[in-house]
Amino acid sequence: MRRVAWLLLLLVALFAGRASAHELSMAELEIRETGPGAYVFSWLGGGRVPATDELTPRWPRACRGDENWVACEGPMAGLLRIDGIGKSYSAVLVKFHGRDAALHVYPLTAAQPTARLVDLDNASPFESAAAYANLGIEHILLGFDHLLFVLGLLLIVRDRWMLFKTITAFTLAHSITLAVATFGVARVAAEPLNAAIALSILFLAPEVVRRWRGQTSFTVRHPWIVAFAFGLLHGFGFATGLAELGLAREQIPLALLMFNVGVELGQLGFVLLILVLGRAARRLEFDRSPIALRLPGYLLGSFGAFWTLQRVAILLRGLV
Amino acid sequence: MSASTLRGLMALALALVMPAAHAHLTQTGFGEFYDGMAHLAVSPMDLLLVLAAGLLAGLAGIPAARFTVLALPAAWLAGGLLAQRWPGLAGGEFIGLVPLVLTAALVALDARLRPAGLRVLVVGAGLIHGAANGAAMTAAGAGALSVLGAATAVVVFVTLLAAESTRAVAGWPRVLVRVMGSWITAAGILMFGWLLHAAR
Repeated sequence: MRRVAWLLLLLVALFAGRASAHELSMAELEIRETGPGAYVFSWLGGGRVPATDELTPRWPRACRGDENWVACEGPMAGLLRIDGIGKSYSAVLVKFHGRDAALHVYPLTAAQPTARLVDLDNASPFESAAAYANLGIEHILLGFDHLLFVLGLLLIVRDRWMLFKTITAFTLAHSITLAVATFGVARVAAEPLNAAIALSILFLAPEVVRRWRGQTSFTVRHPWIVAFAFGLLHGFGFATGLAELGLAREQIPLALLMFNVGVELGQLGFVLLILVLGRAARRLEFDRSPIALRLPGYLLGSFGAFWTLQRVAILLRGLV
Repeated sequence: MSASTLRGLMALALALVMPAAHAHLTQTGFGEFYDGMAHLAVSPMDLLLVLAAGLLAGLAGIPAARFTVLALPAAWLAGGLLAQRWPGLAGGEFIGLVPLVLTAALVALDARLRPAGLRVLVVGAGLIHGAANGAAMTAAGAGALSVLGAATAVVVFVTLLAAESTRAVAGWPRVLVRVMGSWITAAGILMFGWLLHAAR
């Protein structure tokens, strides 16, 4: 146990940067469409350091930019990334003005330095729906923390009925907070949210070990309640995927529905894969090996602990 | 074998070999890890090897299958990462065909390998194919995450195949597995012939 504590301390020391107290402010990047595939942009920064000194936009793949203009093959669409957030500027507000006077606003932070630009103005409803669903699938497939949490739940549940209840509870809970966050009813800052999500994984790890040892606990008896409670938290995490889009209000219902459908499809695929692999592992008698039985719980605990420490360090750095 | 069957097999072999020549990674749109996973599904030479290894492991019994589902992806990952650092380690496509044909032939013959022999074959095959993957991914500008994705796909495929083929203890299921082995052998030999023809 002491070794583990030292190891964790070492990890924190390795990944935690030097804490420094400095004034943080917000910069604004204004992008204006001037013609088909042609854009001009300008920076507005209220800090002591000029925004252009620290902030570098990484334009979507099909675009190339110079000092104040960007040329794209077709409408600007894809992932826009701003490097350098978190030094003098804690956030960047990207304001995108289309030629039809439509305005999309994307708030970027060090925790979420990317914005997904989608050419929704020229897309059919079907194309828009497919784009949102695809984004939902991408968000769950790339959200390894969400997937690990689902894996933890799968390792705890005893039978199919409990599995159904647990996955349904998780789905229901994250759908509620995803809607709440997308409609702007409530919002949680990214840094504490990410730390809490990591903590939810860490919370499940000892429960998995307890289940393996044949012991019981509230979580082992009622995993669906835990899934619901933490699902509320994960829903706020999913909402960051939609926030990337800078949606206009009238686009929110379709986006919310299809993004959630995408998340559920990705989650369902993952659950099915784990169930099939679990069946194959039992066929190969891995369940007779104590190491194989212990491994998932300890793996979950290691990732949970690492992410918790890393994200708490980021949170504390932001507070100093 | 009739002429039309032979022509069909030649066309199949050509179709199987062609994708290997492309020096770009499949784009899933979900990042390098999933691109790496998809790479296995669209690389017939790799896919056939994993198929053959899964079948052979299943025929050899549960302990051998258990070893294979751990060792093959681990060797694949090691080979891939080493070749990303030193791309020269990756052999040509001819070398990749050797473990493929050998493994598939052993399935077709229902050969009883000694445990040590199976281990050498599995680890060697994983290293060779993993290295070829790693070098191809580096050439395509992909990093270690894509190799990890490919190794994860190997885990999934080989686990499912090995578990299912352990059921083929005797009778028709075992014959079916052996037939699959013979078809993979035939495809491997035809791919070898085609590469030889293309190299001239």
